[in-house]
Amino acid sequence: MSALLGNPMVTTAALPLLLGVVMGLLARLALPASLLFLLWAALLLFFYWDTLGPPVVPPVAASQKLIYLAFAGIILGPLSQRLDAGAGRVLVIVALAAAFSWLGWRRVAGGALDLQMIAALAAGLLAIVGAALLLPARTLPSPPVEEPFLVPAAMLAMCLCGAIASVLGASIVTGQLLGSIAALAGGWCLVQYVAVLRGGEAVAWSKGSELTLVFAGATVLIQVALLAPKANPAALVLSSLPLIMAALVRGPLQGLVPRVRPLRPLAAGLLIAMPAMLAILTALLWAPHGAALGFS
Amino acid sequence: MTTRKLTAALAFASMCALASAAHADNYEIDGQHAWVTFTIKHGIYGTAHGQFDAVKGAIVMDKADPSKSSVKAEIEVGSVHTAYDQRDSDLKGPDFFNAAEFPAISFESTKVEKVTDKTGKVTGNLTISGVSKEITLDVTLVNEAPAPWDATLTKAAFTATGKVSTADFPMAKAAAGFGLGPDVDIVIDLEAVKK
Repeated sequence: MSALLGNPMVTTAALPLLLGVVMGLLARLALPASLLFLLWAALLLFFYWDTLGPPVVPPVAASQKLIYLAFAGIILGPLSQRLDAGAGRVLVIVALAAAFSWLGWRRVAGGALDLQMIAALAAGLLAIVGAALLLPARTLPSPPVEEPFLVPAAMLAMCLCGAIASVLGASIVTGQLLGSIAALAGGWCLVQYVAVLRGGEAVAWSKGSELTLVFAGATVLIQVALLAPKANPAALVLSSLPLIMAALVRGPLQGLVPRVRPLRPLAAGLLIAMPAMLAILTALLWAPHGAALGFS
Repeated sequence: MTTRKLTAALAFASMCALASAAHADNYEIDGQHAWVTFTIKHGIYGTAHGQFDAVKGAIVMDKADPSKSSVKAEIEVGSVHTAYDQRDSDLKGPDFFNAAEFPAISFESTKVEKVTDKTGKVTGNLTISGVSKEITLDVTLVNEAPAPWDATLTKAAFTATGKVSTADFPMAKAAAGFGLGPDVDIVIDLEAVKK
């Protein structure tokens, strides 16, 4: 049993996928949103703790700051539910910009504006823009069937390609963490899509859960972009695009989603995942040491 | 009268300082002849070896009173190599030495103790990835002599050994996850040029 739990593929992929499925099933039991939010927060902290270790006081390295940012996201999530769309957008922008500055100040103070730093700035900016467009949107009276999938699918796509870019770019621990978050979102999406296929309605994440989870994924991606020495710059920039794509699928790209009900979430997911697929391809093709994953 | 006393005291203090400094020799670490190497257990298998190439710093050696000696050195994290490129990238990455955020490892002595005429213990703060930990190095003065090709150039050669633990630094979780260490044995061989 301990060998099973010690296997990184179990804790990085299988276990969070299973827990994502459990969360999806619990949501279908109509549990209160506040309880679901607490469960999401607990799961998030569990995976941070498992991959990064317990919080260090005071945090010095950026990787030690990530768990504090996760805590911050857990506080900001419920707070964002009390705000209107405009104020919510400001909150998202300020929170992510502050996280970028905190994680990257030593890197920025170093003064080197190399390709990696330009990619980090671009990826950070695109993640902030994407989150600001996607998260604080108003709830529609009769949302299309794909609407509950937009944020989880964007999270899944962003974190999955970020994980691969991270591991291939010599930042294995953040790759594991992003993989765990992606698998959590994947498990949730799976349950909700089965419900749609059976003629039911998908359950959406609460606004608070959306912000908490996206904030976590985006901050880990920003850390990878800032500090992974060999991460492919193009893959990093592409990894930050699924949030913007999800916002576009809600708006101008909605015409590309077919009318057939069960296909709508699938098509929306594919559109959202397009930059992520390109990111994975780029990271694999231009991997600095080949596409072998893992510490050597 | 008070001013005169103060001036006399300052003059006396300066003379003492000068007298003390007269016994202390200053050296600059010769980066071309410095080998900072380490070994660490690799899982249940062998022992991994690594080396940092870029080292700089200053040594003050007071033979009359070794406790007044000191060492200050800086190692460039990006110069680490282990005979395998991918592993080097991993070591420079945020899981281990985190070169992008902390480009240098530093050591600054806080205490130097004489053991024998040629050996001593140098205690100081080793800072890796922004975290400082006190370590003690066993140091041997291998030789000090003018260069055979240049009588005006005097060099001293030192060997130092010590131990650190990955558990004391931000790489602890990653190192444990990959079955590395936690004990790291350090061997330093370096030459320093007398100024």
